[in-house]
Order: sequence, then structure tokens, then C-alpha cells
Amino acid sequence: MAQTVAASQARAPFAGYNAPLLFEEYQTHPRAYDELFVGAGLPHPAFGELMGMIGRLTTPEFMDKRALADLVFVNHGITFSVYSDRRGVEKIFPFDLIPRPVAANDWTHIDRGLRQRILALNLFLYDVYHDQRILKEKAIPAELVLKSKCFRKEMLGFTPPGKQYMHVCGTDLVRDAKGQFLVLEDNGRTPSGVSYVLENRVVMKRVFPRLFKHCKVRRVEDYPQKLRDSLASVGPEGAGAHPTIVLLSPGPYNSAYFEHSFLARNMGIELVLGQDLYVENDRVYLKTTRGPKKVDVIYRRLDDDFLDPEMFRPDSLLGVPGLMRAYFKGNVTLANAVGTGVCDDKAVYAYVPDMIRFYLSEEPILPNVPTHICDREEDLAYTLDRLDELVVKAVNESGGYGMLMGPASTETQRAEFRVKLKENPRNYIAQPVVTLSACPTWTDEGMQPRHVDLRPYIVSGTDTWVLPGGLTRTALTKGSLVVNSSQGGGSKDTWVMEAPATSGGNP
Amino acid sequence: MISRVAEHCFWLSRYLERAENSARILEVNQTLLLDFELPLEQQWKPLLTICGVHDYAASLESEAVQAYMTWDKENPSSITSSIASARENARIIREIISADMWERMNYYYLWMQNQISRHLYDHNRSDFYGQIRRINQLLHGIAEGTMLHGEAWEFFQLGKYMERACQTARILDVKYHMVSALSEPSSAHMENAHWSAILKSCSAYEPFHKQHHSLERRLGASVAEFLVFDPIFPRSVVFCVEQSLQAVHAISGNPRSRPTNDVEKSLRKLADWLHAATIDGMMLSDLHKGLTHVVDSIHDLGEACRRTFFDFQRETPAQTQEQNGQRQTQGVVKA
Repeated sequence: MAQTVAASQARAPFAGYNAPLLFEEYQTHPRAYDELFVGAGLPHPAFGELMGMIGRLTTPEFMDKRALADLVFVNHGITFSVYSDRRGVEKIFPFDLIPRPVAANDWTHIDRGLRQRILALNLFLYDVYHDQRILKEKAIPAELVLKSKCFRKEMLGFTPPGKQYMHVCGTDLVRDAKGQFLVLEDNGRTPSGVSYVLENRVVMKRVFPRLFKHCKVRRVEDYPQKLRDSLASVGPEGAGAHPTIVLLSPGPYNSAYFEHSFLARNMGIELVLGQDLYVENDRVYLKTTRGPKKVDVIYRRLDDDFLDPEMFRPDSLLGVPGLMRAYFKGNVTLANAVGTGVCDDKAVYAYVPDMIRFYLSEEPILPNVPTHICDREEDLAYTLDRLDELVVKAVNESGGYGMLMGPASTETQRAEFRVKLKENPRNYIAQPVVTLSACPTWTDEGMQPRHVDLRPYIVSGTDTWVLPGGLTRTALTKGSLVVNSSQGGGSKDTWVMEAPATSGGNP
Repeated sequence: MISRVAEHCFWLSRYLERAENSARILEVNQTLLLDFELPLEQQWKPLLTICGVHDYAASLESEAVQAYMTWDKENPSSITSSIASARENARIIREIISADMWERMNYYYLWMQNQISRHLYDHNRSDFYGQIRRINQLLHGIAEGTMLHGEAWEFFQLGKYMERACQTARILDVKYHMVSALSEPSSAHMENAHWSAILKSCSAYEPFHKQHHSLERRLGASVAEFLVFDPIFPRSVVFCVEQSLQAVHAISGNPRSRPTNDVEKSLRKLADWLHAATIDGMMLSDLHKGLTHVVDSIHDLGEACRRTFFDFQRETPAQTQEQNGQRQTQGVVKA
């Protein structure tokens, strides 16, 4: 860091006079949609004011801001740990100071699309765990759903409080070369990353106070309260208006522990580990210094498999024996509900547009990325023929694990996937490579376009609320389309612009 | 509050206090040795004993011992280990301590990992030790001003005062032992220098001289009396025990007049014992025995805390066993 500053200052001895402006040498990506520029030196009209202000910075001034931001991150201990690393090693999530803006009208579109999607997903979950109408009417192949690894037969016939399954969903969006938003995947189990959205904003406000004063950016800071209120609205019967809510974490060695702690702190609820809870008479209690305390709602950041050794993995030390008994008796709410993972299955994902048509009789507002389900014979043949063009993904993996990026793959990797695909076709889907949109990002080679995606967060209790913004993840290596933090990606603050007061609705 | 969280609070505070005390005695010992020639065996070995290090087999040279007690990550009693353990406890209960506390805790943890601290250690040892002392002082200051003064705070207080009482008793014990080893009659000024060093280890030099002391007594007895019995010196054993009592009763809500749980009972017993004892009595019989009693009582007190507050017991014994099995797998950072 310090070296970079020194180097750039050496090139510009009269910083502030002769130093190059930040975007002076920026060139847009040859194919990707650029989030900030229409052409060389010409920002999108919606971001004219914002770009006018950031664009006035010189490179050395920008480097100073970067140094300040880095210091805030290190001192706040905003970290994540990578599983492959030695236990307990923490890293700072690389952060890029150039915001990723979303125009007000684009956001209106996304917001409507996400509400529609979450409504359909929730109806689907209720349906597959009750009457299975959608399977009987063959809108989705029954086998595909019932044989999904994340389908929980234990949930059949059980209705969670408020009929709500997906209390928090993180749906990953990408933008294609034409600038159209597409849904890449849904994360309906225990989506993470929202703490970075909130911390990124804190850092940006500290580094660019004047920008926020002038550009009307929608607030993200209300997320913890919205989530708490939402969880309180779906407490079990008899818990009253102020149920006891806890956040159940796998513990300090989990990669997202920082986030668990961050959320508990900001929601004003206790962070607990499995060992802090026990079940007696089908009720869940917290072990406190003054004896047991009854728990009503558990915001769990623990996968289904680990929740209750009596029902799922018997070797789980992270869970609470008997928790599922209490759940099925209706004495405790689990958020998210058990069994939501069936929607994260990438083969089931391919049918979400059909779910929207089936339950809501509407056309999907946000389309999916075209998806080939390798379980279908013709799709498998198509995929095997075009391994060097397609992206192949394992249906239950996330975080960029278990995938083959066709155009960037070697012959050996393709051969390996050919075997895997033939052995277990149900486990894979294939998609065309989407040239993700790009956003100017500071790199060792100066300001460069880097590919980004967007993960908005949808919070549902008795109402649904979409966090205006979300996590923008950015690939940091040139040409890379993989943005996951576990694969060396970084993040940006997402700025959803306020609609201009004079605007008369959607375009 | 959650039992596990209470335990992290307690250990966060103990580790911070421990880092401060290590820095104190390292600095004082180093300064003392500038003035006196002592056999190598007597220079640093007592210090290792104070810190509970009994299996140190490497060089007893000043630099080697200081490096071991400051930087050795394998040594659980080193300053760097104490800071790392404090920080790890803090990280686990970040939602309990204030954001300001976490930020500073993390800052100093990173500082210890950084070349800057090493540079300070190499070039200005005294400033380095001073900085370590200030970490604990600063964090307690921040805690006082920003943390909710509820149950977590009381555990934070309890950890601090228990650790401090123990450290004061140990420093006194080992140094007293050193002084009695000085057999030659000509070493009176040396003896005085030692007692001054003890006072300085405990930041007690000036407070000691502000309090009235009988001139008929030897300096050693007065110093020992001050460090054990002074009711208003914040590092004396009596003061620390009193503060611990306050914290424990604030946690349980039981009246001071009626000690109910094991922790309250053990603390009351120690307080009563101290009340009945006098320094003349202790010096006359065996100061070492008296101080060992203090250290052992505090060790028992730690056990009582574990039983009373940290190990949540359910009624049925079978389930209790299962819990004990589980807690061992979730490494609570403590020593």
C-alpha cells in the first residue's frame, strides 16, 4: 500500500496540479456493459453529478482516500476467513472505493422483480411441503424436486409460523452485455455478505462525506432493525409482540463469524452457539448466568444438516439436540425455515420462471440466465459437446466451488468434468458464459474495468422488504468472471440513487 | 447473560491485566539489574516463577528471557500470547463489548504483529513496556466510558481484580524471596533497592510514600503491608478482593450480608482471613505461606466461578455429562 502511494506520487511531483485525474486514462471493456461510462470519458447521464465529483479527484488524492479506507477496515477488524487457510486466519475483504451505482429506475425494476420472485419461491416451498400441486400438474418434474439433496422430507405437512419459509434471501443478479439484469442464483439457506454492505457504507461515508451530501443515495443502515422487526413478526404463537430472538452461529471459526457478530450487535440480540441452548419439554432455553431463559425465534446461520443431531447429522456439535422437536411443536421459529435449500438447487432454480407463471399467473420481471439441466438427456449431450463454451456448475455448491469455466478451462479439467457429468448428470447444470457488466476499479495497472455482480437482500416476515442496494462483488483479476470472495474477489459499495423528486414514475 | 459469554468477558479482562503485569515486572527487573550485579541464576529466574513459567530451559541471559516473555508465541505467558488471547476472547464477544473497545483491542493486537512494535522494543525498551501497560489501562478506560455497566461489565471487573490480586501477591512473594536470599549484611542498600523495585512493579512507589508508615519497622515489612492491606491502593490484595466482592454481588443480586453461591462464600472467606491477619503476624510466621494462601484462594475462586457462572448445569446428571463433552470441543481461550 505505502509503496503504491510513493510510486504514484513519484510520477506526479506536483500533486493536485499536474497529476492525472482519476478516470483520465480509463478505457471501457470491449464487450461488457459498463456500469459508469457510456463511452470513453462520457459517464451515464444518471450518474453525471456523482461522476463529476469523483472524477475531479487526482490519482494521488484517490490514493490517500484508499489508504484511509484500508486503515478503517483493518482497525475495525472487518474480516472473513477462508476455509482452505489455516484455522483462524482472517483476511480483509478487498474493497474498491469506486462505488457501483444503480439508477433509480433500474432499482424500481429490480425491486419489483425480486418481490415477485420471493413470493413465488415462498408459495413453492409451502406447496412442495404440503399438496405438491405444482408437481402433480407437472409444471416441474417431481423427481427433480423430491430427489434434491436439500429437499427435507421431515418438513412434509409442517407449516412454519406465518407460513414464511425464506425470511432472508440473497438473490445474485448479473447484467449482460446489453445491460439487462438477469438472475444468476438464489441463496435461500443462509445468505451472507450483508455486513459488508453496511460496513462498506460506513467506510465510504467516512472517506467521501461530501459525495453523500450531494448525491442522493438510498440508505442501507436500516437493515438490522428491519430484519429484527421482520423476525419478531413471525414469532411462535404465545410469544407476544416482543419475542426473544437469538442469532445461532456455528462459532468463531466460521468464515462468516464477523457477520454474525456484527448483525447480533446491530440488531440488539444475543449471539449464541449451539452449546448455549438446550431443549426441555420441547421448548428451547438459553443457558444464562441466572438460569434458563426461553427462546422464541432463532435466526440461524447454520445449515440444516447441523441444526439438530437427533434428526440430522448425529456428529454435529454445532447444533442443539431436540431443536427440531421444539420446531415441529410450534414452540420456536427457525429463520430461515428448514428445507429452503431446495430452491438453491441450481436445477430447481431453472424452473423459477415456471413457478412464477404457475402460482402468480405473471411473466417473470427478472429473467433467469438460460440454463441447461444435465439431468435431461438432450441437455447433457448439448453440454458435453460445448464444454469449452459453457459454464458448468454443481447444483448444490456455492462460493465458486465445483464449477468449470469453459472458455478458461484446460483439456484436463474438461476431461475431468466429462467424467463427472456422465457419472452424475443430476448434479450439474450448464449455462452460457454471461459477459458480466464491468465497473471501473482501481488495480495495479490503474483504473480498469472489472466484472461485477449484485446480491440484493430480501427480508420477509409478514411483509417483504428489499434492501436498497446490496453487495456488489467484483473480480479483481483482469478478464475474470468469478467474483466470489473465496476466489479472490472484492467488493464495492452499491449506490441506489434516489428517484429525482420531479420524476413521474417508471420509464 | 449467556454463561459462555460471561466466561469470555472474564478472560478478556484477565488476559489484558496479565499483559500489563508482565510488562511491569519485566521493565522493573531490567532496570534493577542495571544497578546491581547478581548471579545469573538470581537475575531472571524469579520473574519466570512469578509468571508461572516453570519449564523454561533456555538461556537465562537478560535478552533471551525478555524475548521469551514478550514475543514467544509458543509461551502462553508471553505478552504477545496474552494480547492475542485477549483479542480472541474479544473477537468472540464483539457484540457484547463496545465497538470502541473492539477497535482498540484489534488495533493493539495488530500493532504487536507489526514491525513498529518490534522497533520500539529494540530501540526504546522502556517506552515499549509503557505502551503495553497503557493498552490495558486504555481498554479499561474505554470500557468504563462506553460499555453498558451491566452484567458483562461486572464480569470484566471481576476478571481484572482477581488477576490483579493474584499478580500482586506473586510479585511480592518472589521478590521477598529474592531479598531474603541477600545474606550479606552490607547489602542493606541493595535490599532497599529491591523493595523500591517491588513498589515500582506495582505502580506503588509514590502511593506508598504518601501513606503514613511506622519508622520502627523495616522497609520490607511496610512495603508488604502496603501491598497486601492498604484499603485504598488499587493494586493491594485487600482492595482487589473488596472490588471482586462488589462485582460478584452485583452479578448475583444477593445482598453482601448473605453470601449465597460458592463464589461469594469463597470470597467472603478470603476477605475475612485478610481482615484477621496482620503483616506482623504474616512476617513473623511465614510471608510466603500467607501469600501462597492468597494465590491458592484465588485459584479456587476461579474454579468456583466456573462452577457457579460458566458451566451451566441442568438438573439431570446424564445431560450434564454430555454438555461437558461438548464444551471441551469448543476451545474457550483461557489459561
